[in-house]
Amino acid sequence: MASISSSFGETDQVLVEEKSSAKIFTLNRPKQLNAASFQMVSRLLDLFLACEDDPSVKLIILKGKGRAFCAGGDVTAVVRDITQGNWRLGANFFGREFILNYVMATYSKPQVSILNGIVMGGGAGVSIHGRFRVATENSLFAMPETALGLFPDVGASYFLSRLPGFFGEYVGLIGAKLDGAEMLACGLATHFVPSEKLSLLEDALCKADSNDPAIISATISEFSLVPNLKERSHCHRLNVINKCFCRRTVEEIILALEREAADKEDEWISSTLQSLKKASPTSLKISLRLIREGRLQGIVKCLVREYGLVWTVMRGEINKDFFEGCRAILLDKDKNPKWEPSKLEQVTEDMVDRYFSKINDEDWEDLDLPRRSNIPPHAIAKL
Amino acid sequence: MEKVNFRTQILSGHLQNHRHSTAADIISASPCVSYVPPEVSEQPFSFDVSSMRKLMDGHNLGDRDWLFNLMVQSKLFNPRLRGGKVFVVPDYNHSMEQQREITMKRIEYLLDHGVFKGWLTGKGPEAEMKKFALLEVIEIFDHSLAIKIGVHFFLWGGAIQFFGTKRHHDRWLSATENYLIKGCFSMTELGHGSNVRGIETTATYEANTGEFVINTPCETAQKYWIGGAANHATHTVVFSQLNIDGNNQGVHAFITQIRDENGNVCPNIRIADCGHKIGLNGVDNGRIWFDNVRIPRENLLNSVADVSPDGKYLSAIKDPDQRFAAFLAPLTSGRVTIAASAVYSAKISLAIAIRYALTRRAFSITTNGPELLLLDYPSHQRRLLPLLAKTYAMSFASNYLKLLYIKRSPQLIKTIHVVSSAFKATLTWHNMRTLQECREACGGQGLKTENRIGQLKGEYDVQSTFEGDNNVLMQQVSKALLAEYVAAKKRNKPFKELGLEHMNNSCPVIPSQLTSSNLRSTQFQNDIFCLRERDLLNCFAAEVSKYQAQGESKESAFVVSYQVAEDLGKAFSDRAILQIAVEAENNVTDASLKNILGLLRSMYVLVTLEEDAAFLRYGYLSTDNAAAVRKELAKLCSEIRPQALALVSSFGIPDAFLSPIAFDWVAANSWSTIEN
Repeated sequence: MASISSSFGETDQVLVEEKSSAKIFTLNRPKQLNAASFQMVSRLLDLFLACEDDPSVKLIILKGKGRAFCAGGDVTAVVRDITQGNWRLGANFFGREFILNYVMATYSKPQVSILNGIVMGGGAGVSIHGRFRVATENSLFAMPETALGLFPDVGASYFLSRLPGFFGEYVGLIGAKLDGAEMLACGLATHFVPSEKLSLLEDALCKADSNDPAIISATISEFSLVPNLKERSHCHRLNVINKCFCRRTVEEIILALEREAADKEDEWISSTLQSLKKASPTSLKISLRLIREGRLQGIVKCLVREYGLVWTVMRGEINKDFFEGCRAILLDKDKNPKWEPSKLEQVTEDMVDRYFSKINDEDWEDLDLPRRSNIPPHAIAKL
Repeated sequence: MEKVNFRTQILSGHLQNHRHSTAADIISASPCVSYVPPEVSEQPFSFDVSSMRKLMDGHNLGDRDWLFNLMVQSKLFNPRLRGGKVFVVPDYNHSMEQQREITMKRIEYLLDHGVFKGWLTGKGPEAEMKKFALLEVIEIFDHSLAIKIGVHFFLWGGAIQFFGTKRHHDRWLSATENYLIKGCFSMTELGHGSNVRGIETTATYEANTGEFVINTPCETAQKYWIGGAANHATHTVVFSQLNIDGNNQGVHAFITQIRDENGNVCPNIRIADCGHKIGLNGVDNGRIWFDNVRIPRENLLNSVADVSPDGKYLSAIKDPDQRFAAFLAPLTSGRVTIAASAVYSAKISLAIAIRYALTRRAFSITTNGPELLLLDYPSHQRRLLPLLAKTYAMSFASNYLKLLYIKRSPQLIKTIHVVSSAFKATLTWHNMRTLQECREACGGQGLKTENRIGQLKGEYDVQSTFEGDNNVLMQQVSKALLAEYVAAKKRNKPFKELGLEHMNNSCPVIPSQLTSSNLRSTQFQNDIFCLRERDLLNCFAAEVSKYQAQGESKESAFVVSYQVAEDLGKAFSDRAILQIAVEAENNVTDASLKNILGLLRSMYVLVTLEEDAAFLRYGYLSTDNAAAVRKELAKLCSEIRPQALALVSSFGIPDAFLSPIAFDWVAANSWSTIEN
């Protein structure tokens, strides 16, 4: 008994269905791989806040239309705004997105995200913070920001840092692409369900008519399995990853990887090194520090800090790698960004410090997260 | 009757809620006591917490965070999920043997991850500051782990570095840094602790074999409390009276192997366990007897004195007193690290107790009104906030002490000795007091070892007596001040060391009616601390010379003048800490930081004025002025109260290293968390 209540215009970037006590939100920009626009993020935020107060809603299912769940924030739009002088619009977008991430991370009702396709950047932000993340054989996860001159945001310093060992540093720094099996193995996904069973799963979740996480989890488990990791999975490399990515600095990480490579020829290590050498040196250093600080703090501090960094990046006063990255990867597509500084050793501790320092800018306002007083304990311990 | 109605309301609230709500909703909807995170209930911070953390930690923040990360990500550090958060705290319910075993495993993990790289082979101030920072982080996790590492690197490693020469450095430093050998430090004996010069172990040189013979001549000469000796250490530096041809040349240090590579105790060595202790059970303290153990001549650590193959004693320093002082000077690093770690322990307990006081309520002061938060009681503020202010001041002091130590030079030996003695004693006493107050401020929750504070009392108590008994150290401070005084008077020259320059000025005058602005001014605060030190130093000098004039020896004059000596030691320490805190405050440019640091500094001074009876005893404060101090202190408490959360957040101690009562203690204790 589905009732589809999508309207025309801006709001149809998110389709809304209601099946018994479940709400199903479908991200609906299939041509843009469901890239999260300002409208989409705003709409989701309104919907989540409304459902939290609505006693008839017990469960939220979030999915994407087409072959992507969500390929990330709509960065092209942000860059367009900024280059047209509307950098504040860009900052607004991130502010709204981070508030949505926070509401999801602290949500009192279970959110089940069906990750049947691409999950990148902002797409991870609207799913990983939620209680249940269902991967499929079509899932493709990545935080590719360092290649773009940015850093893993949307609360990634919180959730990447909570992956086992130093896998989070690996995923965040090199932008590793993970499939559904790997997402399950490292904890980014809570379940793996073959895509052919997704509609059955959805029906079962709606029929469950429950907001009890234990019942929801058991319901998903009826359809889920534990897939084998592919032969060349990142997860088979955990030992080397931990050994190298636990190092204090990006330079030491690279040195450790090179030392491993010296012992024996290894395609995986060379491609890892390749990714690190292609990424923005500033982004790498910022990202490593974000993950290291994020590991020691709660979701609020992580988001607030990331928001400050986004602001600093948007202002482009320390460097302009983000704009260069967007130019090279998204606009001109020459895939040959010219980073400045171009070498790791040129990115001094002081420069990195400036990104993390208190912002002295009269336009600056701290990220104003809604005060949520009764955060259930499970809401902060999902990973 | 009202109470009955109130209770009925609550109960009916429960019942109504149960009909259509989830467990999570009940917590929010019912008037039941619920947990509200202080971040939500408190006002926004008035200053930038990460800038304040930079001031508090002072140096190597990235290195600190890296090491916290290494510990949080390893199962060896005993992560436990409580109330939705992961905490890493050692399991103090483990037996002594288990604690020792896991401590050694943690050391291996840190070693494998490069934490100790450069600790003995690194050079320069940067390497030293990094080492201090990492040790502080280790201490935040567990004192046993830090002490076990401290003995190996700072005592054994430090002895090789400072008492040894190239041949020892080449052979031992890198091997120690990589734990190819495990070192310990055999100084204290059953019969002699602080009085090192009285130890009874002997080292006799035999020219015909070119060997020293180390011997424990009697039971009181057994080495005692030797950290690492009971289970793990393979080598020790043993302090003994050097005998050459029947002449005693005083205390010297020798390297002796005590276990082979398989961990078996070497011949002619006997080792016994010191047994279970009130804390620090992760450290295997042992006792050692040497039964005429023969070691090669080269094993004498010969930076200060040497013995030639034919048995000639050679030393550049002729005076045995000076020789002994030069010999022990490098051991100051122990006092430096102890002082710093005491401050971090106080920070842990204050962060926990203050966070708890911002979420735990008790008693209502209005009919049917909500119960009051603990920290909204002025009495609770008075218990915790002055300790917080002192911890801030002492945090600056410990950072200063580290910098002073790494600048060490022959000219600074005296200053470093006096300042490190005073600060080690003052900061460790402050920590023990803070722990007790915080324990009580958390009520029964303070008793649970998972909540850390109660356990820390046992873990840190040792600090008051090891590396120099606090009382003995403070007496040495007073003696050093007196020596300075005598020297200045005799030569009729101005004071220019140990911060005594203020003695050259005219005596400060304290206003007869202290106002609020007097009390909060740096000028007055400095004046009254200087006045006390100046007057007590004069008193002490007068009293000692009076006894000497009556024919007492200098030593016995000191012994009988212990009361003034004690007051003087405190006066020196308090004044030095204040001046360091003022300087730190002056170096800050941000107005919001300056403002709060000013309030804390005033609170530090005023609570000292109120607590130390010396101010009234010697008349530096009139009873009227003492009353003004008390009134102002209460005002300061209410001004600092809104900043309490920001102030403990600035300590930079990650949530995982605090404890469940610092966060959602309702969830941490809920029935649903109990596994069946």
